Amino acid sequence: MSELLQIRNIRKSFDTHEKRLLVLDGISFDVREGEFISILGPSGCGKSTLLRIIAGLEKQDEGEVLLRGKRIKGPGQDRAMVFQDYALFPWRTVLGNVLFGLEIRKIPKKEALEKAIRFIKLVGLEGFEKSYPHELSGGMRQRVALARALVCEPEILLMDEPLSALDAQTRNLMQVELVRIWNETKKTIIYVTHNIEEAVYMADRIAVLSRRPAKLLDLVEVNLERPRDRFSKEFIDLRARIFRLIQG
Amino acid sequence: MRFEIFKEFFIFFISIGVFLALWEAYYWIFIQNPFVLSPPSKVLVTFVQLIVGDPKFTETGFSMPIDMIYSLYHYLYGFFFAIIVGFSLGLIAGWSKKVEKFLYPIIELIRPIPPIAWIPIAILLLKLTHTAAAFIIFIGAVFPILLNTMYGVSSVEKKYVEAAMTLGATKTTTLLRKVIIPASMPAFFNGLRVGSGVAWMCVVAAELFGVSQYGLGYKIQLARLYHSPDVVISYMLAIGIIGLILDRLYRIAESRLIRWRRGFVVE
Repeated sequence: MSELLQIRNIRKSFDTHEKRLLVLDGISFDVREGEFISILGPSGCGKSTLLRIIAGLEKQDEGEVLLRGKRIKGPGQDRAMVFQDYALFPWRTVLGNVLFGLEIRKIPKKEALEKAIRFIKLVGLEGFEKSYPHELSGGMRQRVALARALVCEPEILLMDEPLSALDAQTRNLMQVELVRIWNETKKTIIYVTHNIEEAVYMADRIAVLSRRPAKLLDLVEVNLERPRDRFSKEFIDLRARIFRLIQG
Repeated sequence: MRFEIFKEFFIFFISIGVFLALWEAYYWIFIQNPFVLSPPSKVLVTFVQLIVGDPKFTETGFSMPIDMIYSLYHYLYGFFFAIIVGFSLGLIAGWSKKVEKFLYPIIELIRPIPPIAWIPIAILLLKLTHTAAAFIIFIGAVFPILLNTMYGVSSVEKKYVEAAMTLGATKTTTLLRKVIIPASMPAFFNGLRVGSGVAWMCVVAAELFGVSQYGLGYKIQLARLYHSPDVVISYMLAIGIIGLILDRLYRIAESRLIRWRRGFVVE
C-alpha cells in the first residue's frame, strides 16, 4: 500500500488569555491508501485539532501535511469531514443534505439525484429522503452526515468522534455499519476517537497520542481478522496494551 | 374538538359585540352629534357604501377600493426598496465585522428618528409625489429588516460553515448562497414581518400630508375636513383590516418557506 497522506512534524499551540498552550508537539505519521486509521488519545489531547488541520479548517504553527505529495493549505474537495455533532443543515431534508456536495461540484441534476439516493440506501436510510434532521434520531443523523460526506467521493474521509454522542447500543451497531460501509466503498478513513475499544474494533492501525501536549506514542498495527470479536483474547489483550500505553 | 372551536368563536363574537354595544350606547347617551362621532351601526352602513361605491360618496371622490390600491402601491413601492437595501446591507454587515463597525454609528444615529419626522424633508426633496410617500415607508421598514438580517447572519453557527467547507464549498459567494442565506431566513422573515407592520403605519402618516389625492391616509384627513366621522372610522377600519391581512400573509409565507423550523424549539 502506498502513502496517501504524510503528516510531518505538526506543532500547534493555542493562545488562551493566560498563556500559550502547546497542544500538538511534533506529530508525524503516514496514512496509507485505503486504510482505516484511528487517531486515539485521551480527551482534550488535541486529536481533533490534528484532524482539523488535515481538513484545512485549522492552521498548524509548524510542519506540514502532504496529500499525494501536495501541501494542504485549506479545505478542499479531496477531503470530507463527519463531525461529532453531525452539523447537518437543518434547512435541508435528508436528500437535500446529501445533495449538497454534488451541487457544489455542479453534477447534473439527474445524475446527482441517482447518486444521492444510492448513498442514502448505502447508509440504510431509504424512506427518509424527505425528512428533516430534527425529525431523526442521533444515529440516523450520523448516517445522513456519513452519506453526505461519502457521496462527494473524497480521497479521504475524516471522522471526528462521530459516534460519541450516541448511546452504547447504537454506537456498537454503527461501528459494525461503518466497517461494512468502509468495506463497500474502499475509502481511506481517518477516525478520531478516545474510545480504545472502538479504535481496536474498527481500525487497521491506531495512532496513539499522549496527554497534552500530544506526542505520538506508538503506531499500533491491529492484526485481527474481521469481523472482529470484541471478547476474543487477542482483542482484549490489545485493548489492555493500548490502555497501558496511554497511562504511561 | 368541534365544541372547542365553537367556544372560541362564541367568545370572539361576545367580545366584539360587547365593544360595539358600549360604543353605540356611548354615542347615544353622550354625543348624539353626527358631525363629531358616529355609532357603529352608522359606520357599518357607510363602510359598505364606500366599498361598493355608492354615488353619495363617489361624487365627492371617496371610493375605498381605489384608495386601497393607491395605499398598497405606496406600501409596495417603499417596502420593495426597504427589502433590497435592508437585506443586502444586513447580509454584508452580518458577514463582515468591519462593515458592521462602519455601519453601526450611522444606523444608530438615524434609527431613533421617527419616520414621521422625515416627512418635511421628503416633501422638500421629492415634492408631493408617490416617491415621497414611498421614501417615508422605506425609512420605517428598512431598519427592522436590516437589523434582523444582520443578527440572523452573524448568529449562523460556525459548524455549518465548516461542514460546507469540508464538503467542497470554499468560495465566499457559495457559502453565502448555500449556507448563510438559508440559515438566516427565519431572522430575515421576522424582520420582514416587523418591517411590514411599521411600513403600513407609515403609509397612513405619509398620505396624511397629501402626497397624492388618493390613499386611505389622505382620505381620513379629507373626511375630517368634511366632518364625516363615519367615513373617517370606515377608513380606519380598512387600514386595520389590510394591516391584519398583510401580517397573516407573511406568517403563512413564513411557515411555508421555512418548514424546517417546525418543532425546532421543542428539541
